[in-house]
Amino acid sequence: MRKNPLELLRGLWTTFRSMLESPVTYQYPEIKRPVRERFRGRHELKRYENGLEKCIGCALCAAACPADAIFVEAAENTDEERYSPGERYASTYEINLLRCIFCGFCEDSCPTEAIVLEQNYEVSFTSRRQAIYTKDLLLVPVPTNGRQTPMKVPPGSFERAVPEMEDAK
Amino acid sequence: MMEKKIMDETFTVPIGPQHPALKEPSHFRITVDGEIVTNAVVRLGYAHRGIEKAVEGRNWIQNLYMLERICGICSHIHATAYCLGVEQLAGVEVPPRAQAIRVLTAELERIHSHFLWVGVAAHEAGFDTLFMYIWRDRETVMDLLETLSGNRVNYSVNILGGVKFDINEEQADAIRKGLDYLEERTNHYLDVVSNDAMFLQRTSGIGVMTRNQAEVLGTVGPTARASNVARDVRVEAPYGAYFDYPANIVLEERGDLTARFVVRIKELFESYRLIRLILDTLPSGDLETRMPRRIKEGETVCRVEAPRGELFYFIKSNGTDMPERIKIRTPTICNMTSVVKLVIGHQLADVPMILVGIDPCFSCNDRMVILDRSDGYKQQWTWEALRQHGIDYYHEQHS
Ligand code: SF4
Ligand code: SF4
Repeated sequence: MRKNPLELLRGLWTTFRSMLESPVTYQYPEIKRPVRERFRGRHELKRYENGLEKCIGCALCAAACPADAIFVEAAENTDEERYSPGERYASTYEINLLRCIFCGFCEDSCPTEAIVLEQNYEVSFTSRRQAIYTKDLLLVPVPTNGRQTPMKVPPGSFERAVPEMEDAK
Repeated sequence: MMEKKIMDETFTVPIGPQHPALKEPSHFRITVDGEIVTNAVVRLGYAHRGIEKAVEGRNWIQNLYMLERICGICSHIHATAYCLGVEQLAGVEVPPRAQAIRVLTAELERIHSHFLWVGVAAHEAGFDTLFMYIWRDRETVMDLLETLSGNRVNYSVNILGGVKFDINEEQADAIRKGLDYLEERTNHYLDVVSNDAMFLQRTSGIGVMTRNQAEVLGTVGPTARASNVARDVRVEAPYGAYFDYPANIVLEERGDLTARFVVRIKELFESYRLIRLILDTLPSGDLETRMPRRIKEGETVCRVEAPRGELFYFIKSNGTDMPERIKIRTPTICNMTSVVKLVIGHQLADVPMILVGIDPCFSCNDRMVILDRSDGYKQQWTWEALRQHGIDYYHEQHS
């Protein structure tokens, strides 16, 4: 350095120049950076337009999950008290977010596209119990034109559990 | 009398398993004479996660997700190694477009890993400005990976028999633009690590590993290539799309820390070239083929070039939908022996730099081996016989 004072000036010039650059950081949490389309965040249990839950309690997601994070217990639907189309619905649905590795295999395996890894990444808790997300936390709100579940429906109107899907193979 | 006793004793500095300077748990016992290191012992295994055992109880598809999570930095290459092995066992041919996308992601991952390393190493050398700059630029490649896959880590590109997503023109252009910026910055960083007088004081002539040492210690990856050992799985035993897009090997002669910086930074240019080539000549066609649920009985060895060096998978199937055994060897374990040899004779303050020079990743390398020979098995292998057996076995599997 003593040999070449120009080096010092060059270094300082680099530092000085960066003062003129705009910052690359985001002022989180005031400003949130949008996530990309394929992002895998916290799960949501989806509903149909009419308010019925898509989940039919088949527990395929629980079987697929590499981390054993999902617990599903199914119960029978009746036309008096209908939660989802078809015979059964999930009476208990729990995801332990401390176990979950956010792989998205549950989403792949669901026959009704009920469980979707959405864009929420702000998942923090203060106790282990809180890490277990129950069905009421996961279920999305009822759409505007839908009704709350359980709903009373005309007999025989929702027999089919798995809907027609475009890209189903 | 008392004084003499103290003078005679060498002093052992224990570092870790928990230590502010260590990013991951490991234990070093460094014996010093004054400031000079006279001996070093490393103890690994604090981050053993039992993942090899866990995969034995899960099916082939679930294991893909498990194994992708071995390393947070080179997650894609773990999944690729696993997929290549399982596809080989099943006798499934992956479409060329899928193979190209795998390699493209692997090279993007290499860029991000090398940028990360230069930053960490610069930080270790006390050059935090470089650390900040290079991590800022690393965000470019992280964003590209995020654009492609939706995630910054664990991209989940692979599925057994193909890849999950395609690359459209818009994404390709974003990647090209990102690479142009990165290339310009990389030129600058190459200049910094090879010419900055202050930085060279921390790296030049430190931790010199001769070519012979590098070979004997069995180092892999950029650590070996910095000592002029031509060891790169992409070149020696190409896999996937590296047949169509051959990689060039980058070598340095000096074998010191500067060389390790230079090798890794020069490899970035090679990655840029490969990615551009793949983007320009991406083969058309399907993204996946059908995979059977049960994999045929058999065993295979699969080697790929992770950012840190050779990654090795041994996969054994017993014909069911779960593997019987998967053995993983990550590059860090191969390079670790070089650290304990190289630090001897250096100042204590150089130890972190030499350690970081191999780009260690502790939790990836922690595996457990139990040898239970209670059945009276007595055969002894000489080193040459064992090595020959390994070579023969490998050729048998890949003939
Ligand atoms: S979320 Fe899907 S896979 Fe899981 S129980 Fe409900 S319907 Fe079945
Ligand atoms: S994202 Fe993966 S780990 Fe998490 S609940 Fe779904 S399948 Fe299980």
